[in-house]
Amino acid sequence: MIRLAAIALLVPLAALFALAVGGTAIAPHDLLLAILHPHQPSDSATILWSLRLPRIAIAATVGASLALAGTLMQALLRNPLIDPYITGVSSGAGAAIAIGVTLGVALAAVPAIGFVAGLATAVLVAVLARRGSGLDAERLILAGVSISALMSALIALALTVLAQGSASAQIIAWLAGSLSGRGWIDLAAAAPYAVAGAILGIATIPALNVVRLGERRAATLGVDIGQLQWILLAAAALLTAAAVALSGLVGFVGLIVPHLARRLVGADLRAGVPAAVALGAALVIVADAASRALFAPLEIPLGVLLAFIGVPAFLYLYLRGTARVYT
Amino acid sequence: MLRLSGLAVARGGRTLLRDVDATFLPGTFTALMGANGVGKSTLLATMCGVLAPAAGSVMLDADDVTTLDARTRAQRMALVEPTESALASMTVEDAVAAARFPYHRWWEWQPSDADRAAVGDALNATALTELRGRELGTLSAGERQRVWVALALAQRARVIALDEPTTHLDLRFAIETLTLLRRLADDGAVVIAVLHTLEEAASFADRVVLVGDGRVLADGTPATALTPAKLHAAFGVTIEVEARGGSLSFHRKTK
Repeated sequence: MIRLAAIALLVPLAALFALAVGGTAIAPHDLLLAILHPHQPSDSATILWSLRLPRIAIAATVGASLALAGTLMQALLRNPLIDPYITGVSSGAGAAIAIGVTLGVALAAVPAIGFVAGLATAVLVAVLARRGSGLDAERLILAGVSISALMSALIALALTVLAQGSASAQIIAWLAGSLSGRGWIDLAAAAPYAVAGAILGIATIPALNVVRLGERRAATLGVDIGQLQWILLAAAALLTAAAVALSGLVGFVGLIVPHLARRLVGADLRAGVPAAVALGAALVIVADAASRALFAPLEIPLGVLLAFIGVPAFLYLYLRGTARVYT
Repeated sequence: MLRLSGLAVARGGRTLLRDVDATFLPGTFTALMGANGVGKSTLLATMCGVLAPAAGSVMLDADDVTTLDARTRAQRMALVEPTESALASMTVEDAVAAARFPYHRWWEWQPSDADRAAVGDALNATALTELRGRELGTLSAGERQRVWVALALAQRARVIALDEPTTHLDLRFAIETLTLLRRLADDGAVVIAVLHTLEEAASFADRVVLVGDGRVLADGTPATALTPAKLHAAFGVTIEVEARGGSLSFHRKTK
């Protein structure tokens, strides 16, 4: 409980850090003034309220959504190597956006295209993975991996053959993951889907806790496995699609944060899920702030930065010692 | 009461047993026996609604088990199976508490007093109270087997089906587990267990269902079901049965 509270505290701390850091440094005194007087006509207030705060809110949404989706999918499939992109959402969104951009679709429409195509791909993966009234875990992984490979091929095709002028730069920027240029409007459009996914996902926590004993045993203990799988896949697809629409491809959050949360609070999802949500939010807030500040005015893509931080941290945690990854 | 009518069970598209008719009354402890691979486990899982029957029906009181929703079924029937791995970092108590899932609605996340009592009693009855804080991954096979039995107890179901509940158990725990099952039956539960030891079946069960060759070979008291002829039909081994002072003993026939 104390650990969980400490982890939750990371989110406001990360937000404070991200408020203060950026291309323009804001002194603590000005920061406080701008927070307390949002309508004061000052540069600090403008930077804070229309640039940094929305990005913090978006970063928190992206991080929390991916971490939640990853935790749910890892628990459902009882596989520690699963990340939310196994649903096909990201690759489907990527392919649709790559093709859309080369065909000259307006930049403003990109998140919407990504969202719709991402969900459509998730439905395709789910249909391929169907068995009886539920889903087959192995088929889901196979379908997710193969459909993702197909979509990657489409992206490569769009980049190498179709894209002209600035189109390839736009596609690559999206693939690298970034919150650059996103604001309150984008958040307002994506948040309802993230919230719907979160509610669906969180409602299944008691059943998922029983699945830790194995699927068959969970079925004898009263878990409707087929129903649980469909609800969770829908939840993960909604969460991931919302995140992808906001940030493009941000890797590793959905894979690493669930591990980290399990490490810190154990495998009971009643604690693991809130811990993962808070850690994911805090991690992406800090990473986004760092991506803005490190080489300002140049922005490093968020996905790239997270991979640079995330991969060594992950390897350090799991290749060292005798830590059990999942089972 | 559990009633099987014209039941056929299949695994992987292959029918293993057919035309199974049997009624299990409260207060009875039935041993389900037969050779490896004849379909005992499949029959048990089908009885408990986890697998769909290939033909026929399973009625639990007035309800067809295939139409019961998962939670209602779990409140009324418990199935203990030895296989399938569980998350190694779960504690014993955590695992046994999962058996209370069918009694919770989806928004009820915290254990009630009834849950705590059921889990405490189940741990106590399986001598796991002292191991309650241990992780499943650190238990021996026998200790884990007792956890699965404890789950069924905490489920507080009136029908308890167990697939080889004494496997991995040492002599003391095997006897304690069977004594516990006997007591549950005496208290009015329907207990059905797959057993492999003739002595265990003869001393603890009041009924033996012997299956083989795709059907029920014998169904009756241990003395009537476990005869040399029927044992030979089921296992292909010649066994001498000796009845002495109300108990049965079994010896492999040597020339």
